[in-house]
Amino acid sequence: MINLDFLNPAENNNVLEQEEANEYMENLSVPTFEIPLVHNPVEFLKHQTHAAEQCRLSIVHGTTTLAFKFKHGVIVCVDSRATSGTYIASQTVKKVIEINPYLLGTMAGGAADCSYWERELGRRCRLYELRNKERISVAAASKLLCNMVYAYKGMGLSMGTMVCGWDKKGPGLYYVDNDGTRLEGDLFSVGSGSTFAYGILDSGFKYDMTPEEAYDLGRRAIYHATFRDSASGGIVSCYHVKQDGWTLISRTNVKELHYKYQDEPKAPLV
Amino acid sequence: MSDRYSFSLTTFSPSGKLVQIEYALNAVKQGVTSIGIKATNGVVIATEKKSPSTLVDETTVEKISLITNDIGIVYSGMGPDARVLVGKARKAAQKYKRIYNENPPVNMLVKDVALIMQEYTQSGGVRPFGVSLLIAGYDSNGPSLYQVDPSGSYWPWKATAIGKNMISAKTFLEKRYTESLELEDAVHTAILTLKEGYEGQMTENTVEIGICQMEEIVDTRGNTVTVPRFNKLTPSEVKDYLANIA
Amino acid sequence: MITFFLVLLQSGNEYNGGAVVAMVGKDCVAIASDKRFGLELLTLATDFEKIFKMNDKCYIGLAGLATDVQTLSEELKLKCDLYKLREEREITPKKFAHLVSSTLYDHRWGPYFCEPCIAGLDENNKPFICSTDLIGCINFAKDFVVCGTTARELYGICESFWEPDLGPEELFEVISQSLLNAFDRDSKSGWGAVVHIITPEKIITRHLKTRQD
Repeated sequence: MINLDFLNPAENNNVLEQEEANEYMENLSVPTFEIPLVHNPVEFLKHQTHAAEQCRLSIVHGTTTLAFKFKHGVIVCVDSRATSGTYIASQTVKKVIEINPYLLGTMAGGAADCSYWERELGRRCRLYELRNKERISVAAASKLLCNMVYAYKGMGLSMGTMVCGWDKKGPGLYYVDNDGTRLEGDLFSVGSGSTFAYGILDSGFKYDMTPEEAYDLGRRAIYHATFRDSASGGIVSCYHVKQDGWTLISRTNVKELHYKYQDEPKAPLV
Repeated sequence: MSDRYSFSLTTFSPSGKLVQIEYALNAVKQGVTSIGIKATNGVVIATEKKSPSTLVDETTVEKISLITNDIGIVYSGMGPDARVLVGKARKAAQKYKRIYNENPPVNMLVKDVALIMQEYTQSGGVRPFGVSLLIAGYDSNGPSLYQVDPSGSYWPWKATAIGKNMISAKTFLEKRYTESLELEDAVHTAILTLKEGYEGQMTENTVEIGICQMEEIVDTRGNTVTVPRFNKLTPSEVKDYLANIA
Repeated sequence: MITFFLVLLQSGNEYNGGAVVAMVGKDCVAIASDKRFGLELLTLATDFEKIFKMNDKCYIGLAGLATDVQTLSEELKLKCDLYKLREEREITPKKFAHLVSSTLYDHRWGPYFCEPCIAGLDENNKPFICSTDLIGCINFAKDFVVCGTTARELYGICESFWEPDLGPEELFEVISQSLLNAFDRDSKSGWGAVVHIITPEKIITRHLKTRQD
């Protein structure tokens, strides 16, 4: 957390400065939620956060999301299914969160947690931009997100996200989750269908791919994950992050992909 | 005890006969005659009910037994053996009903009973049953009449007789039977056939008649439905039939 | 191992997933199922049989634990074949339903994790359908029966799609649309479907193309 003690209003006589300070506090302090007023909230909440507990608040939903860096930027592909138990609550969920024209975040885990914290991230990134007259780096943005959720570690947040963008250093890709993990990498897949997506990605990935080949690889990986993983499905969304920001490449129904791939000749194994 | 005699009493004679079964048939031949006739719209079975003494309360003696609502059995031969078989037949019928929630068709019940009787010709420590049975019933194939012997053999019949006067009774039935026989006439014919070999005066208390035919009943939902039913005639009903014949 | 059995006991019916539905038409019946075989969320096969022919006029669909679906279907086929040999006639759907019921109740304290749907035509070609729970309580119905992990979705959709006196082709359309749209809302069912229409003259079997997610 950011130490704001030096802004203690009692020691400051300038009213204007004080208002500025208050605003600064409001804007940059970690959002505060009502948490149980006990000595150790993590311990107190165990009965609903611990996996083995019967009355656990289960908001985890299955997903397949992936992102990878290659010669022409970053590709982000996701499915669109939301399940509650075995029931398919929606087939048209937007799992790519458009933080700003240069940053994308993916959504796996609790939908509310992901969308709330990534919106908050977007707000902070904009403030950073205004204050520093330049865009925030992907590294810094992902670190902001990571720090925010770390403050609530152990209290049941559910979020597995990939922050993707383009900054001075080129394409950026970070994995951030609710444990406070933050990893930089070239290729990630997150969610219940991730293992299947990794299988396709690892066997088909080439750094020198054309953008078209990369879109196809991403879509295929998500499609195959939706085929094997019951909790993934619906529509495959594909984004491309380039130097001048991200673009939405396609939204394709899995049904169409299946019958398209089915009619294709099988690719050689090697 | 059961260890020492756990071999079958029914063993082949050198000439290839199972004499125990022949003895059992002899026991049947000494039993009182029973008649069965299948008509176009039902079946009738009938038998004499002779008391060894006038002091016996013959209203309690029953020789025709219901196995299910639509199947009845009459026997010739040893009464106690027949009662055991009736018990086993009823149990077999209920076993079938437990599985399929329907009464067994007549041929299935006959097969079950015949199987039991055959077992008693081959098992250790037992003797064959000293009875022949006439099994009368009505199912989706219409009315049917079967005879089962102590050996476990069984036949379907249009009309037949078992017991003491079976030969003359069968000859009589051969003359009287027609393919278009109706149940009412079949009951008459059955009584006449019994009367042929009957010693003494035939009364409503010394003859037992059971008939199986389609009947209208009101089911549990209050609907009137037509179902097969096996009924024993009451003494007064028998009396009416006897009066018509005389 | 113990945990595995506990999981079975708690949700044996939801371990593999599946959807079965049967419907009455005019002088015909239809029975349909999905084709998925999976282990919880993982889809392993998309050609798994859940509907079994007992004779020309009697079919049974079994939803539930796949191993029990196979074992029970074979036990029931054995019983039907023996019945035919013993009684020299085909078993009627109604009697078959009671046979299924008593077979399931025989395992009252260690049940097959299966929910059967039975569809057929009786000796007068009158349509018959019913379903039972996993220990044999029969549910006779005049319109449709459903079972499997998609049961709730199917109930809702059949309730609005089904109508009396549908001919074989209309019935095919109704049962197909009901099943397809129902299992599109269930993550554990789908991946293809099969429909059998039983008429006095013939059996029409069709495999449906569906979404594969």
